[in-house]
Amino acid sequence: MKSKYALRFVALGYLALLLGIPVALVFINAFQDGIGTAWNAVTTPEAQHAFWLTFIMVAVAVPLNTVFGVLCALAVVRQRFRGRALLNAMVDLPFAVSPVVVGLALLLVYGRRDGWIGPWLSEHGVQIIFSTPGMILATIFVSLPFVVREVIPVLREIGTEQEQAAATLGANGLQTFFRVTLPAIRWGVAYGVVLTIARALGEFGAVSVVSGKLSGRTETATLYVESRFQRFDETGAYAASVVLALLAFATLLAMNLIKPKEAQG
Amino acid sequence: MSIVVESVSKRFGDFVALNDVSLNVRDGSLTALLGPSGGGKSTLLRVIAGLEQPDSGRVLIGGEDATAKPPQRRDVGFVFQHYAAFKHMTVAKNVAFGLAIRKRPKDEIEERVNELLALVHLDGFAHRYPSQLSGGQRQRMALARALAVQPRVLLLDEPFGALDATVRKELRAWLRRLHDEVHVTTVFVTHDQEEAMEVAEQIVVLNHGDIEQVGSPRDLYEKPANEFVMRFVGPVSELSGRWIRPHDVEILTEPAGGTSEAQIDRIVHLGFEVRVELSLGDGESTWVQTTRAKVEELELAEGQIVWLRLEAEPVSV
Amino acid sequence: MSRAFPISGDVLGRGVAMSYLSIVALIPLAAVVLKSVDGGADTFWSAVTTEQAVAALKVTLIASLIVVLVNAVLGTLIAWVLVRDEFPGKSIVNSLIDLPFALPTIVAGLTLLLFYGPESPVGVNVAFTRASIVLALLFVTLPFVVRAVQPVLLELDTEMEQAAESLGASKGTVFRRIVLPNLTPAIIAGAGLAFARAIGEFGSLVLITGNIPFKTQAASVFIYAQVESDNPIGAAAVSVVLLLAALVVLLIFGWFSKRALRHEE
Repeated sequence: MKSKYALRFVALGYLALLLGIPVALVFINAFQDGIGTAWNAVTTPEAQHAFWLTFIMVAVAVPLNTVFGVLCALAVVRQRFRGRALLNAMVDLPFAVSPVVVGLALLLVYGRRDGWIGPWLSEHGVQIIFSTPGMILATIFVSLPFVVREVIPVLREIGTEQEQAAATLGANGLQTFFRVTLPAIRWGVAYGVVLTIARALGEFGAVSVVSGKLSGRTETATLYVESRFQRFDETGAYAASVVLALLAFATLLAMNLIKPKEAQG
Repeated sequence: MSIVVESVSKRFGDFVALNDVSLNVRDGSLTALLGPSGGGKSTLLRVIAGLEQPDSGRVLIGGEDATAKPPQRRDVGFVFQHYAAFKHMTVAKNVAFGLAIRKRPKDEIEERVNELLALVHLDGFAHRYPSQLSGGQRQRMALARALAVQPRVLLLDEPFGALDATVRKELRAWLRRLHDEVHVTTVFVTHDQEEAMEVAEQIVVLNHGDIEQVGSPRDLYEKPANEFVMRFVGPVSELSGRWIRPHDVEILTEPAGGTSEAQIDRIVHLGFEVRVELSLGDGESTWVQTTRAKVEELELAEGQIVWLRLEAEPVSV
Repeated sequence: MSRAFPISGDVLGRGVAMSYLSIVALIPLAAVVLKSVDGGADTFWSAVTTEQAVAALKVTLIASLIVVLVNAVLGTLIAWVLVRDEFPGKSIVNSLIDLPFALPTIVAGLTLLLFYGPESPVGVNVAFTRASIVLALLFVTLPFVVRAVQPVLLELDTEMEQAAESLGASKGTVFRRIVLPNLTPAIIAGAGLAFARAIGEFGSLVLITGNIPFKTQAASVFIYAQVESDNPIGAAAVSVVLLLAALVVLLIFGWFSKRALRHEE
């Protein structure tokens, strides 16, 4: 019996020391000089722009990755083709790639000077690197796998019988997809979307490389935290961190609410 | 609508599911595809439905070649063993699905759904979800859903396989009554010979991709085409090198013409029926099915020597 | 099957999925690989064998290995407590395990800096040391082993343990001989994922480690520095090393994990 308490103590102690206290401290420090100061710190023009930019990136990356995720999951689970296992494995690549490498990769393709198609795009007035499109691309890359990974097991589990039944009842492909398949996988998609949003919000390494970190122009919320800290504006950094942490908690809450529904199917 | 299957073959890799199978199903009839697992019956049903494509052969529904048509266009109702309920839709929406797809007007759909729910005794369940229904109820819903679009043919794949014994029996009787009312050509798959015998007008016995016999339940039982059908459709025991029905053997306490001597090893009482296990002179054993009354009348006991005689006109192979 | 079930979208669906994947991920990564050998194999080799590069790689690999080992033990312990133990607030603690997935890495680093840096309320200051790297990596890799082991523990048939106890085994023996072997595939899988994550980690390191070359500069930070100093080949070369390490580990650990699973059948 003693061992039970010992184990619990070690587990909870570790979690408190690693997660609990550090996160609590950022809240404490953010509000050290009062809520008003903290509020002012996150409502400066730069801060507002930073959160707006992050929002844009998420708003573009998430729907694209969701559509891709569903199509890819359908292909991997329901179809037979050569390279299916390869496609499945490659979807996991973003998990194996360091974010700075993602940034480097995009730089090498879209860089204005020596990129593969960067110069050509630049001639036509399209700028990717050091501009919003590049950051969106980076966000898409790093948050790519989540919807796929969540939808695949759900698709496998529901099987094809409902779709076959719909076929015998006269439904064509699109009708079956929208009326039967999609509703059946909706919680898997929802969970994947939540994870995608969280990853997109938190992206730092790749956007560090491709953004040029131009304050007020290409600075995301995460880059903003870093820049505030480097300029010794600690309150600014902590306040912005609190906003991001609150969003993270909202993510955890959403995950918690959706997971049981995903399991029920 | 009649169904004609012409020389259909289907293999999955090396496995031959159907081997040049041909079959005629009369319009309005109630037919069972009976056989052991892996025998090809589900595959045949799915080929008729268009859920599988045959490697060769044709399927004609109502006289028209349907082989190239996808299931959407064959006008077949299909009921799956595990119901294939649309879990995210209410019972009413499930049943209405085929009509909603065909863009029928809302009041027409509502009327038809209510009609069907009444037919399958699920009125009052319209706004429940499949997860709130029992297995038997879900299957009735699946049937209502399939019938909603007035299919020309109704196909059921082991429809009662996932249900417990009592519900199974109820639904069997119920399917028979439904067919009497609705008169649509119905084909169902089962591995349970009792179910096939009880429900179907015509039984098709399939084994290893071949049709062993087609006939009425009585035909199959009394005139089996081969040993497989005989063993599958009813109890068998062996006597004098022949396969016979164990209730076709008479037990006598005195020797007489045309009898074989045997010793009773065991008497097993199975309610009304009694199973008498015996050893024959040549080291072989056999068993006979008889009644409690008979056992008492003859005062049979274990170890007793008796004489066995085949009744006149036994079923044998 | 595709004729009857066009819902899978067929060639169009998977074509779109594969094109998207290529544009977003595969082509950029190919650019990195090609850049790394841009000056030939010799340039590649000299780029990855500079003193600074070697130091960065060593720091990263050693820290990641330490972290994986700690996680294998503590992650399993935490999973055990979360599955087998009951205490008020357990479900909240359970949700918090996913915090490192949801929280931006830069914020994570900041929170650790607050508790373990110069302004530490308990006087613990590991900022600018190699210990800070281990600390940050422990934070970001926390969920991997825990989440891998939990479902296996949940499914585990306690009857096996009860049978062992009825045969005289102590709780420790039961854990060692009955439970642990069943958890091993999951632990290995989680450890592999944790390692791949750890070697690429960037955001949580930038503030607390000081990024001191040869001392506390991780491989990812080194790559970033090379990009900033216009040395794309150097950056690409070390990136390739990290990529290979991640892929090899994922493959090996994945293989071991599946092999161990096979004994279950």
